[in-house]
Amino acid sequence: MRVLLVEDDRMIGEAVRTALTRDEHITDWLQDGAAAAAALAASAFDLVLLDLGLPRRDGLAVLKELRGRGDTTPVIIITARDDVASRVTGLDAGADDYLVKPFDLDELAARMRAAMRRVSGRGDAVIEHGGIRLNTVTREVFRGSEQVALSAREYAVLEALLLRPGAVLSRAQLEERLYGWDEAVDSNAVEVYVHSLRRKLGQDAIRTQRGAGYYIPR
Amino acid sequence: MMTSLRARLLAGLLALVALISIAVGLITYERVLAESSVLFDYQLEQMALSLRDQASVAPRIVLPAHAGGTDFVIQIWDRFGTLVYASRPGLSFITHAVLGYANVALAGQRWRVYSLATVEGVIQVAQPWGVRESLAGGAALRVVVPLLLLAPLMAVAAAWIVGHAMGPLRRITAEVQRRDAGSLSPIDPSELPAEISPLIAELNRLLGRLGEAFEAQRAFVADAAHELRSPLTALSLQLQLAERARDAPEREAAHARLHAAVERATHLVAQLLTLARNEPGTPTAMSAVQLDEVVRAAIGDVQPLAQQRGIGVEFAGTPVRVHGDADALRILVRNLLDNAVRYSPEGSVVRCSTGDGALLEVTDLGPGIPPAEYERAFARFYRRVGGTESGSGLGLAIVKAIAERHGARVELGAAAPHGLSVRVHFLRLP
Repeated sequence: MRVLLVEDDRMIGEAVRTALTRDEHITDWLQDGAAAAAALAASAFDLVLLDLGLPRRDGLAVLKELRGRGDTTPVIIITARDDVASRVTGLDAGADDYLVKPFDLDELAARMRAAMRRVSGRGDAVIEHGGIRLNTVTREVFRGSEQVALSAREYAVLEALLLRPGAVLSRAQLEERLYGWDEAVDSNAVEVYVHSLRRKLGQDAIRTQRGAGYYIPR
Repeated sequence: MMTSLRARLLAGLLALVALISIAVGLITYERVLAESSVLFDYQLEQMALSLRDQASVAPRIVLPAHAGGTDFVIQIWDRFGTLVYASRPGLSFITHAVLGYANVALAGQRWRVYSLATVEGVIQVAQPWGVRESLAGGAALRVVVPLLLLAPLMAVAAAWIVGHAMGPLRRITAEVQRRDAGSLSPIDPSELPAEISPLIAELNRLLGRLGEAFEAQRAFVADAAHELRSPLTALSLQLQLAERARDAPEREAAHARLHAAVERATHLVAQLLTLARNEPGTPTAMSAVQLDEVVRAAIGDVQPLAQQRGIGVEFAGTPVRVHGDADALRILVRNLLDNAVRYSPEGSVVRCSTGDGALLEVTDLGPGIPPAEYERAFARFYRRVGGTESGSGLGLAIVKAIAERHGARVELGAAAPHGLSVRVHFLRLP
């Protein structure tokens, strides 16, 4: 999935981005609050990891602005402020979770998955729909009882579509989930991934809504 | 040594009462003795005069043989010197007879004698001095005894008054006793006697300064703990990445970053320590210091970092002597240079100079600091926006702390065409 990481500390930012990238997430990393607010207004992210003590604009202000316009993108605050008052303020401002530095990368990954599950309204880590079973922890995909091997980007496309069956995602929306800003996007990349997913999961697994995008039937 | 005010006051008061009693007793004794002497002398004379007229009958007067109560002794002599009459036989004043009043010692007693010459001889009337002395002594005792009897009462009253006057002190004692170590709020100065309110006012001022110092320390520790989290988080993350590395190059990269994170944490701790050591009030050994030599040494310190970033550090300066702590000054210059090198674009030049008016100036070609942030730039953990280096954020705070200890002034400014210029104005030494 596509993650926006807002962290002003260069070393921490680099490390988290490395870890996220290794977990097959598309990660965009910004180092100040103003840039983060602008990015959140311009593009869609699946999840935001937000530091509070940011230059130019405080993380809480960024979060409040995001929630103020009704954006429900899951936000996990990652901060050194560990007092109860700060946690309460952060959660009340609309954060989905609150992680105190220093933290464990496994815990971060688990909290990210939990936040995603809450968004999709599911209680567990496994999405099952139309004979396809997707485990968001192990990133394993099954068709019936048979495991299907997917590339990271194929997985990302499938996960995005499976999270909300019936919802149509445009090519641009899927591209956003596949590529960070610093990556070059192949014009027909999404089509290629959808094609190979259909080959692996069945032609009917992903439908095309002409002129609008792709969806998985409800 | 008596340290209790109450005991001191009580002892003083009682001593005073005793002294006054003794003085009053002595004065009374003297006055009564003098006054009774005049009276008794008059009585002696009158008695002698009345006897003159009855001298012829005197020998026939039968006086009771020295009945108690009569202290007077009467002797009548005829003109031939024969004792005609003696009210108390065995005592003879004649040998000592002087007409008029005389003091005579006889039979182990001192006597007051009045001798009157008549046609028929001499009449002597005498009285022991002891009568007058015991009268005076009795009078003195009657005055002193009540005074002495009153002394315990006065002591009790004095104790009560002193105790009452000490009430505010006891209140303050109790108030201070109730406090825990962290409570530095001022003592309530109301209803204090004028004598101790200046003490309490000073104490309150001291408490205020202590409170500020405590608060500053607490803020410093809180800031430090907060700031230590970042490098520790970086360390912890790099360590986790190193543990999870899937192949050798990944592991090597993680180890390199781990190394950098350790260096950063070490640097922060070192800077924190430097700042703590240069807190206001730190005792310092100051001496005459050649500032330009200190700058040369500091340039040597930052050379490795400068070379790594391809930055030249140029020094132009005239010899300047200042009064200061050479080690601290070197840290000051090193921090200025370190900041300049870190924020300079690669391949640029950092200029440093010493000169007129004991001035030190360091100029870089970096992004500079917006003038609106000049004030804030000296705060602990201030970091410039867009800095690529993860500095400690303590450099300028350390510079300011050291400068203040030297009575020097630090001034930020913009350099041409861009960049930061830091000027430190020292106190010049002749």
